[in-house]
Amino acid sequence: MKISAFLTSAVAALAMAGGSALAEPVKIGFNVPLTGFAAADGKSALNGAELAVEQANAAGGINGDRIELVIYDDQASPKESVPIAQKLVEKDQVVLAISGSYSGATRAAAGIFQESGVPYISAYAVHPDITRAGDYVFRTSFVGQVQGRAGAKLIGGTLGKKKVALITLKNDFGKSLAAGFREAAGKYGIEVVAEYEYGIKDRQFGPIVSKVKSDKPDAIYASGYFFTAGPLVSQLRAGGIKVPVIGQEGYDSQKFIEIAGTAAEGTIITTSLDRDSPAAETKAFIAAFEKKAGHKADMVAASAHTAVKVAVAALKAAGSSDRSAIRDAIAKAKVEASTGTISFNGLGEVRKDVQVQVVKDGNWHHHSVISDAALLAPPEK
Amino acid sequence: MLYLELFIQGIVQGSIYALIALGLTLVYGLLRILHVAHAALFTLGGYLGVIVTNATGSLAFAVVVAMVVVGLAGMGLYKLAYEPLLDRPPYIALIASIGLFIASEEIFRLIFGPYGLSYAEAPLQGQFELFAGFFLKHGEALAIVLSVVLLSGLAWLSTRTRTGIAWRATVSDPEMAEAFGVDIQKVRYLNFFIGSALAAAAGVLVALLNNLVEPTMGSVPSYKALAIIVLGGLGSIRGTLLAAMALGVIEAFGTIYLGHLLDRDAIAFAFLILVLMLRPQGLLGKAS
Repeated sequence: MKISAFLTSAVAALAMAGGSALAEPVKIGFNVPLTGFAAADGKSALNGAELAVEQANAAGGINGDRIELVIYDDQASPKESVPIAQKLVEKDQVVLAISGSYSGATRAAAGIFQESGVPYISAYAVHPDITRAGDYVFRTSFVGQVQGRAGAKLIGGTLGKKKVALITLKNDFGKSLAAGFREAAGKYGIEVVAEYEYGIKDRQFGPIVSKVKSDKPDAIYASGYFFTAGPLVSQLRAGGIKVPVIGQEGYDSQKFIEIAGTAAEGTIITTSLDRDSPAAETKAFIAAFEKKAGHKADMVAASAHTAVKVAVAALKAAGSSDRSAIRDAIAKAKVEASTGTISFNGLGEVRKDVQVQVVKDGNWHHHSVISDAALLAPPEK
Repeated sequence: MLYLELFIQGIVQGSIYALIALGLTLVYGLLRILHVAHAALFTLGGYLGVIVTNATGSLAFAVVVAMVVVGLAGMGLYKLAYEPLLDRPPYIALIASIGLFIASEEIFRLIFGPYGLSYAEAPLQGQFELFAGFFLKHGEALAIVLSVVLLSGLAWLSTRTRTGIAWRATVSDPEMAEAFGVDIQKVRYLNFFIGSALAAAAGVLVALLNNLVEPTMGSVPSYKALAIIVLGGLGSIRGTLLAAMALGVIEAFGTIYLGHLLDRDAIAFAFLILVLMLRPQGLLGKAS
């Protein structure tokens, strides 16, 4: 068994080595923030994507052809991502592209890829308009609203907390989460007692902490990224607020726990990656990522890894570099990945379960899974 | 009680703004340069605070190291970047300063990584009861106390010592001061050392309150400190302190009561516009 597996992979490697000397590599475009404020997420996403490409190449590439990731730094800015998308389409002539970036950059690039008829997969950007660019655009992560609804079910249903204060990051990520949360709040008997907004550059939440203390909520639903949520949660706890803090995939990084320290304990989030998953796919990803990156896996890494995996599966299934065949293959894909079983609806939105994780003893751990298909239904248009 | 808490939060934030903006005002007062790269020195201070604390376990030692090293770095910055440009129009130095600041963010990222750094064991995270029912976090108390100590020290230096008097003389009339035998070059170095060391202290305090230093942590101070010194009346030290405190308090209330309308940073600039409409010379600036 072991020997035959070894032989197959050796033959595949040989075939690939022989093939790649002659054949052009299969080029997959990848726009990702490697400098600027989102560089940390960008670095993780890049590691995740590279890992998926290495794994796919080791397993024989696309029907024998080697995969090459064409990487550009978009600084999470639409100003950068638009020319990058044009370059990927015209100069690099990629067969497909993936966004390892935030919503602003991804949304702007999506239009270019759609016009050019090049399939584009957003790994973790949340803005609903991204897939609305057209039928060549897909997303392997949840739109903000879906995750916001999951947050409402988690707080009102699972945890049974009814008086909730919202602390909302004032960008498309935070706003769409809050919108989804409010949408489903009534269904779970949640009363939103107050909502505060903050900007992405804010790290000092003293005034909000003081006000939330006087609001006396049963739980706090706070959107943000690890670099805002880390300081926020540590300041909430240092300010003596003890009620549960519920976050989302933006928190999903070991770095959040490093920043908030012991204050992070008990923080619950909705996300895509289950650290304690029994699924072989997820376990293998977590181990391989730690080995490659030298730090623990996070949501953006898993999402980028997933997006590349979906792309590779579609390229294999399409069996050609015909962009419309590749698009159709993605639309029909059903792929086992580190973030679950991935398939898409008519708009190109992913259908999968929401993983709930909690910080315990300085690490993310399994809390529960939300798999309510009606609640988690992504937009269809 | 809530209002009092918000007010104190504003003072905490204002103290940090004051430490940062003071260096900027000192440089402007002496050289008429808008020293945007000052925010890079603030970031450097934050990084040194975390690194030295993690290595030695002593926050106090880290504050001293950060202030001295960043003070020297400020002097080096003057020597290498500004001195060669002194006889050019001030906007040349401003452009150089902006360039240095942008480059510094990427240098921090390349050296220390994109994820930022945190204290291994964050010091001063607890809180204490200041009076009945009113709690203050240790880190916030330190921010206020350290600012008061440093700024009083500066006031003492500038009014009670020969060096300080020479310094003030140079600011008000460089040629006259030189004629009286003041070594202008020394004054400029001292100016950069003190201003940069204060920014470093602010960096350490911010690192303490957030338990996070990042390559881009200087981006907000880089322009907000400019707003503060304009607000205070360019080059006026007392005006800068007043503006910093006022802005801290206004932001604290604004975040809660205007947060849905205006961003925290927008509040600062709305306040700036309002003040400049009523007092074009700034809060304590002299009308020209």
